[in-house]
Amino acid sequence: MKGWKHVIAITSLVVSTSVLALATAIGGLGYILPTPGVRDLAYWYLVTVLSPSNKLFTAMSPEAVTSIVWDYRGLDTLFETSVFFLAIIGSIALMRGIKIVPERLRNYSSGMSPIVKTVTRITAGMIIAVAASIALHGHLTPGGGFQGGATAAVAPLLLMVVFSIYFIIKSGITEERMLALRTAGLVGIVFTAFSACIIAASLGTQAYVFQNQPKSTAAVGLPASIMGSLTSGTLIFFNLFEFFAVAAGFTIVFLLLSIPENIVKQALRGVESEH
Amino acid sequence: MEESMINLALVGLGEIMVAVGVISDLIAALGMLRFPNFFVRLHAATVGTIWGAFLPLVGASLIAAGSEFLGQYRWFMSGGAIVTAILILILAPAGSHALARAAYRSKSAEVRPKSVDHLREFLKKEGGEESA
Repeated sequence: MKGWKHVIAITSLVVSTSVLALATAIGGLGYILPTPGVRDLAYWYLVTVLSPSNKLFTAMSPEAVTSIVWDYRGLDTLFETSVFFLAIIGSIALMRGIKIVPERLRNYSSGMSPIVKTVTRITAGMIIAVAASIALHGHLTPGGGFQGGATAAVAPLLLMVVFSIYFIIKSGITEERMLALRTAGLVGIVFTAFSACIIAASLGTQAYVFQNQPKSTAAVGLPASIMGSLTSGTLIFFNLFEFFAVAAGFTIVFLLLSIPENIVKQALRGVESEH
Repeated sequence: MEESMINLALVGLGEIMVAVGVISDLIAALGMLRFPNFFVRLHAATVGTIWGAFLPLVGASLIAAGSEFLGQYRWFMSGGAIVTAILILILAPAGSHALARAAYRSKSAEVRPKSVDHLREFLKKEGGEESA
């Protein structure tokens, strides 16, 4: 009986995949490819993204995705980051007043075996290094601040599982510090967005918000390269600050999720009995 | 002339390593399917990670280093393969160790083909609370 179920399941999977493939191949779902007119848009971005002669549109970065995210549609990304920030604030508000019990901080010697702990010590450093390279090369190669930050947040998560949550708290990765780092990251992003304006104001001219390279109508901007290496103006700063903001944000969520349920219940009951 | 001989040797050695990896992966897959219980299957899985993933990656890096037609980029490919191989060499034993330890301590898998169990004796000597 069990064998028949397997046969029916596998046969139906194979048949449905083949039917869908055949229908797609003979055009049963209509013309799925976009019209050739759309390709001009992609071509335009790829051509203008690193062209020093085209002063009006260039972002001075070979990486089209990061340029679009932080330069061409930078304001949109700022609000995306703000939405993520508000989500973190919401989760902190939900868990307010619930602390990981400090008297248990001494007893953090639990966790996995010494072999796993040693390997995790090595790999946690490697993860941070890879994350930093993803974020700081975000304007040169695929990647960026968000991707780098999400990668970096794996390191505290790994330490949390392998050592213990008390080890993390004791080594200084607390909720308050992560929130401070997250806020500093967001302040940095806003400051970078206004940086061209600030430079222009100090020189007595005017510039746009979210301006990266000098334009013909606003002749100030951030340098495209520092000491001979390409930094793409504001892009490297946006990636750096976003890296800290996202890494700290994810770490806060992991810290909150790792609070044992009985502690949460205890805190809620304590509030009730006070009244 | 000499350089092309070295390149040929690198590519040949790399191809042998990839071939050994293919055979090891096949053996590991057979073991995963046919072995009777958790600990013996774990043994088959580690054959697949070290002989079937680490060794072919080293082979791939040798092939890339010996392929001169790839130009300068062959060093990037070679280095990437070596770094991945070292990561697997560090991480895979730790992972299988953690799996085996958890399965043993939680008593969720029977240690079946066994002649001696030093760990059980050690834990008994340490005191009952550790093995609980």
